[in-house]
Amino acid sequence: MTGIASLMGSAATGLPSLLAQVAQAQRIPGKIDPVPWCPAWAFWVLAALTVAGALVTITRRNLIGAVMSLVATFFGLASIYALLSAHFLAAIQVLVYAGAIMVLFVFVVMVLNREEEEPWSLRSPVLKAFGTGAVVYLLVRIGELLFFARPPLPQRAGTPPPNFGSVSEIAEYFFTKFLFPFEAVSILLLIAVIGAVVLTRTVAKPTSVHDLPLDQQPKDPAADEGDSGAHAAGHGAGGH
Amino acid sequence: MDFLTALMTIGLNHFLVLGLVIFGIGIMGVFLRRNALITLMSIELMLNAGNLTLLSFARAQHDMRGQALAFLVIAVAAAEAAIGLAIVVGLFRNRKSTDLDELNLLRF
Repeated sequence: MTGIASLMGSAATGLPSLLAQVAQAQRIPGKIDPVPWCPAWAFWVLAALTVAGALVTITRRNLIGAVMSLVATFFGLASIYALLSAHFLAAIQVLVYAGAIMVLFVFVVMVLNREEEEPWSLRSPVLKAFGTGAVVYLLVRIGELLFFARPPLPQRAGTPPPNFGSVSEIAEYFFTKFLFPFEAVSILLLIAVIGAVVLTRTVAKPTSVHDLPLDQQPKDPAADEGDSGAHAAGHGAGGH
Repeated sequence: MDFLTALMTIGLNHFLVLGLVIFGIGIMGVFLRRNALITLMSIELMLNAGNLTLLSFARAQHDMRGQALAFLVIAVAAAEAAIGLAIVVGLFRNRKSTDLDELNLLRF
């Protein structure tokens, strides 16, 4: 509770300085890169698609609807990556997210198909008020960033070289400077595969005494003998 | 600054704000929803917003390292989705529910 109170306090003291910043920012003449990165309509259409898809994703009660709108969001994001001349990343985004991860999500949703009775988590009015305040603060900061000039972030002018974002450029980094992270990611994926198998494995009913844990296996060597004898007989039958 | 110019001249700030908005929607999904699957989807949204920011800065600096980093983030996100869904399946097997508010065994 003290943490929340101190957060509130810092937000309250931050607001006047924020308003002062906004008032200051209005007087700075705007300096933006005169060369646009992409056609404006493309950005706005794709941004609207992406944000709408994300909003639908977190508000749907039906999980399949949420997954499908998440697919739309990922396609919009892939197109935005292409606008940022990251063509290889756009293709990988479609393959990995809109393909593999979404199939995994749809599969799990189909397995655990449960409607939830009360989807929203916040019930206490204090938390609701705090959340609303945080969202309003965020929107104010976004508006400040959008509509008032700031000192420009460091960037190079002009369009990037034509092979920027191509497969060969990325591969050059992965096989020289980024070789260690590249190999580490392969080990990480291996660990994730093993972890997923271990987490979802069901313990099968033991079909033989050898499947039991060691302390529950019969001490009697005769049972062991009989089992291996049966195996040998089976082998013999198969052989002849 | 002319409002129309800001609307029509797409630059670094536009992409950064888009990433911020998507990240905020992801955070709202994590905080507000009780379903574990929706929470995982919101985490994917947040990772994608981070990727968008990395790619925007890579484009601004004409530097390929941002794109290499985004590729690594995609690989980590795939691993995270696999493990997270495995945990949800195991959870459902034990508790017959994917409601995160019922998982209060370790809550103080």
